[in-house]
Amino acid sequence: MIEVERLTKRFGSTLAVDDLSFSVAPGTITGFLGPNGAGKSTTMRAILGLVLPTSGSTTVLGRRYRELEMPLQRVGALLETFDAHPGRSGRNHLRVLAVAGGIPRSRVDEVLALVDLGAAGKRRVKGYSLGMRQRLGLAAALLGDPEVLVLDEPANGLDPQGIRWLRDFLRSHASEGRTILISSHVLAEVAQTVDDVVIIHRGKLVRHVAIAEVEALAAGSTTVRSPDADRLLELLVSAGLDARSVVEGRLEVMAPPEQVGEIAASGGVVLHELSVARATLEEVFLELTGEPGERGA
Amino acid sequence: MTRLFAAELLKLRTLRSTWGFALVALLLAGLATAGQIGGTQAQDRSDPEFQFRIVLDAAFPAALLSLLLGMILVTNEFRHGTIARTLLATPRRGRFVAIKLLAGAATGAGLMLITLVVTASIGAVWLGILDVPLELGEATDAALRALVGAVLAGVLGAAIGGAVQSQVGALVGALVWIFVAEPLCWALLGLLDVGGAAEYLPAASLGGIVDSGGGGLPFAGSVGMALAWAALATMLALLRTSRRDIT
Repeated sequence: MIEVERLTKRFGSTLAVDDLSFSVAPGTITGFLGPNGAGKSTTMRAILGLVLPTSGSTTVLGRRYRELEMPLQRVGALLETFDAHPGRSGRNHLRVLAVAGGIPRSRVDEVLALVDLGAAGKRRVKGYSLGMRQRLGLAAALLGDPEVLVLDEPANGLDPQGIRWLRDFLRSHASEGRTILISSHVLAEVAQTVDDVVIIHRGKLVRHVAIAEVEALAAGSTTVRSPDADRLLELLVSAGLDARSVVEGRLEVMAPPEQVGEIAASGGVVLHELSVARATLEEVFLELTGEPGERGA
Repeated sequence: MTRLFAAELLKLRTLRSTWGFALVALLLAGLATAGQIGGTQAQDRSDPEFQFRIVLDAAFPAALLSLLLGMILVTNEFRHGTIARTLLATPRRGRFVAIKLLAGAATGAGLMLITLVVTASIGAVWLGILDVPLELGEATDAALRALVGAVLAGVLGAAIGGAVQSQVGALVGALVWIFVAEPLCWALLGLLDVGGAAEYLPAASLGGIVDSGGGGLPFAGSVGMALAWAALATMLALLRTSRRDIT
């Protein structure tokens, strides 16, 4: 369980997080979304005790992070900035964390294998690619087999197979009743993984909803093409639907395609196309955060 | 605390820079010992003070290295961004500072032990060849002082590292203080006819632990002053670390 209660954080005159409240329930994966600079990383760092709140509070498993005993065994974290010494090998980086966290050293090789870094574990970190660094960060987060995962942009630098692995891993992790908060500025990246989304913009909460609701918002109008578009438009408008001509022979109707098809059939109008024009998840996201975007384009 | 301290030692052991410092300490110890024995006239080698000076000459650079390595083991965290991961494992920041001070003490002891082993080995063999009897009492006294001095130098270094946090700032600032600012203070205080006050300055305090035979503070006084400077730096380190946002 993660709880953020009226969190506010100021850096000098900059208000990074503004009276933000939300919670993440056990056994769920919650996407933490917002454009760059929305305050996601600051919030996550506040949850982890790295950033000190100006006001408000954050708790993990019912306690402030710094009050947790053996925190690496309770909470796994991946931060957006790389946090391993470049002169140390990946394996030694994890060995240090294992010793500090009271974690069996055998776990080091297990997590290295899990993130497919077994062979590279003995190499110094400064020679790692971006993807390898990200996987090392994930290995560090998973080292203590924690109940809670806080992952800041975990898909950064991962190849498609890595992203798929991460998605499957997080789903199986959540199915064991663990709590996962995962940030991203790309909704589509997490849409297939998360149960809920917390959307923030300029440090403020925009929405905290189930991902199904966001997907429902993406379901938009129906596009219909007919050689007798003018007559079809008349029929649709007379049926009380919001319909308009987009280009010659093509209409956009704010109604489900089944209803549009039935009206066309009852009027004997031939159709050449009947399709759903869905807004992309990104368009919905941009709309919710108030960023400029062209819905239904 | 034990596992956190063990993790700090593992951090040190798994970095080449630590072994670089150990190698430099080893080389400087060898050079200082060889220079002291080889550069002293035969008749002066029988002076009991001579073997005390052999150890001291080797100990001063090791104490300086202890101070610098103490700073590096804290400032490395901020320089390379590893501070975030360290604080996730050690979220109580007072405990983080305490562990770093312990690690500073351990590095100081380690570097000085290397130095003393090299010095003792070269000295014993060379003086044996020259038929100079070993003055174990003098050498042991110097070695114990050197060990205490290095431990406190490591602690002070770690505390300064925590207070300054910038690696370049801490290292350059310390070297400028030791080789420029503090000698200037000595000269200034001498001109003001309060030269004795200079013995209380940080580098003089550390130096006084190793060699308190020059009319300065006694050994206990030097230890007390070095502890006081370390306590001051630790308070600043606690203050800065506890308030710092790790972004």
